[in-house]
Amino acid sequence: MGFWQRARYIDRRIIFLLMLLGVGLPLLTNIGLPVRVTRDVGNVYDYIEGLNPGDVILISYDHDTGTLPEMIPMSDAILRHAFSRNLHLVGMALRAEGTAIGRQNFRRIGAEYGREEGKDFVFLGFRPEITAAILGLGTSIERVFPKDDRDIPISEIELMNTVRNYGDIALVISISDDDTPVYWVNYANARFKAKVVPAVTAVMATTFFPFIDSGQIRGMIAGLKGAAEYEKLIKIPGRAGRGMDAQSIAHMVMIGFIIMGNIAYFMSRKGK
Amino acid sequence: MLIQFFIPSKLSSSVYNEITNWAQLIYAFALIVGVFGLVKYHLGRVSRKSDGWIYNLVTVVSLFLMAFLGFAFGRKDGGAFMWIFNYFQAPMQASVFSLLAFFVASAAYRGFQARNTEAVLLLLSAVFIMFGIASVGNSIPPFAEIANWILMNPSMTARRGIFIGVGLGTIAVSLRVILGVERTYLGKE
Repeated sequence: MGFWQRARYIDRRIIFLLMLLGVGLPLLTNIGLPVRVTRDVGNVYDYIEGLNPGDVILISYDHDTGTLPEMIPMSDAILRHAFSRNLHLVGMALRAEGTAIGRQNFRRIGAEYGREEGKDFVFLGFRPEITAAILGLGTSIERVFPKDDRDIPISEIELMNTVRNYGDIALVISISDDDTPVYWVNYANARFKAKVVPAVTAVMATTFFPFIDSGQIRGMIAGLKGAAEYEKLIKIPGRAGRGMDAQSIAHMVMIGFIIMGNIAYFMSRKGK
Repeated sequence: MLIQFFIPSKLSSSVYNEITNWAQLIYAFALIVGVFGLVKYHLGRVSRKSDGWIYNLVTVVSLFLMAFLGFAFGRKDGGAFMWIFNYFQAPMQASVFSLLAFFVASAAYRGFQARNTEAVLLLLSAVFIMFGIASVGNSIPPFAEIANWILMNPSMTARRGIFIGVGLGTIAVSLRVILGVERTYLGKE
């Protein structure tokens, strides 16, 4: 077996090791690669920046724990921006695991800004059956969520006295690792004219480009890159910036593998 | 639901609200049926000592442990339920997902080869997108522009085609069900 033939069938543990170095080293050091803000993320920032203090944003945690490293920096950046602008936040989840994730995030970032649960923000909890839940919110939030996540009746929560349905919500953000934001677009936007923004994993981004083009969504935050762009816009460095260094180097390693794999493929064919 | 959309009235609105309520109730009961099926399947494998039965046992024990902790002590921050969620479930699931990077790298090296025209197009798209999205390439205008063009034109066109196809298919199947042409969901031919 010639050199190129052996190179084609290289031990996969070498590939794993190089990938580990590509991902691990940037996380241990602070490279600080540049981040360029794209139009879609800028649109989300501008829209939230244009809201008045006291306006309400509904954030739905529609993902599970598998994608936490990609979703949490995104959620942190949005929450920091909203709390710093004195906006009111209503949280919920259309995935069971999103309940614990969202509730903890709301309380953690809310505490950073001294915000009070029930007055400045509220977390409603989880509801199954996406379509019925999204449609139900358009008629009455209290009908879908009679109590919040702490088991306090909605009627007894100060913030919820003025928030009855999508008409009282300035923006809906679905933080998701699947196509749940499509349901928000189809039912909350198309049916009730709610303004929707998907904050999704990078692999899901292409699903939502047609909705940006048609004006059905205000913008989009996609993947760790989107989160890093948002951190740059709010001028608060977070985990996304460092994660983006690792992702960028990992992409370079991957491109290197593709080029090397093809060289080995053509050279071994030439040698036959 | 359809009538309520086109003929809004007090009666149709209340029917619509009832249906959305029932949909959530039915889904909640479907979860119970799902849990029952899951437990039955895994306990069956444990009792038969099938290959890897220990993993089936772990699944059942984890399910009941989390349910017990949640019902007995609540889901408050800092409690046992949240401790297991934060320090077991979340890192384990994220780790499994992270393994993808390693397997994708291995697959890219071995399988992403320019064997024919379609493979060359796929390969070039992947390289331009990856480089254009990475911080380094994103700062170099031509690469960022090419990546953006691929995403906003060929990729979006394909995605639109899929959406339109799914939409037309849904309408066609819905009409077949409404008109009684499609009866397979009733167990008929």
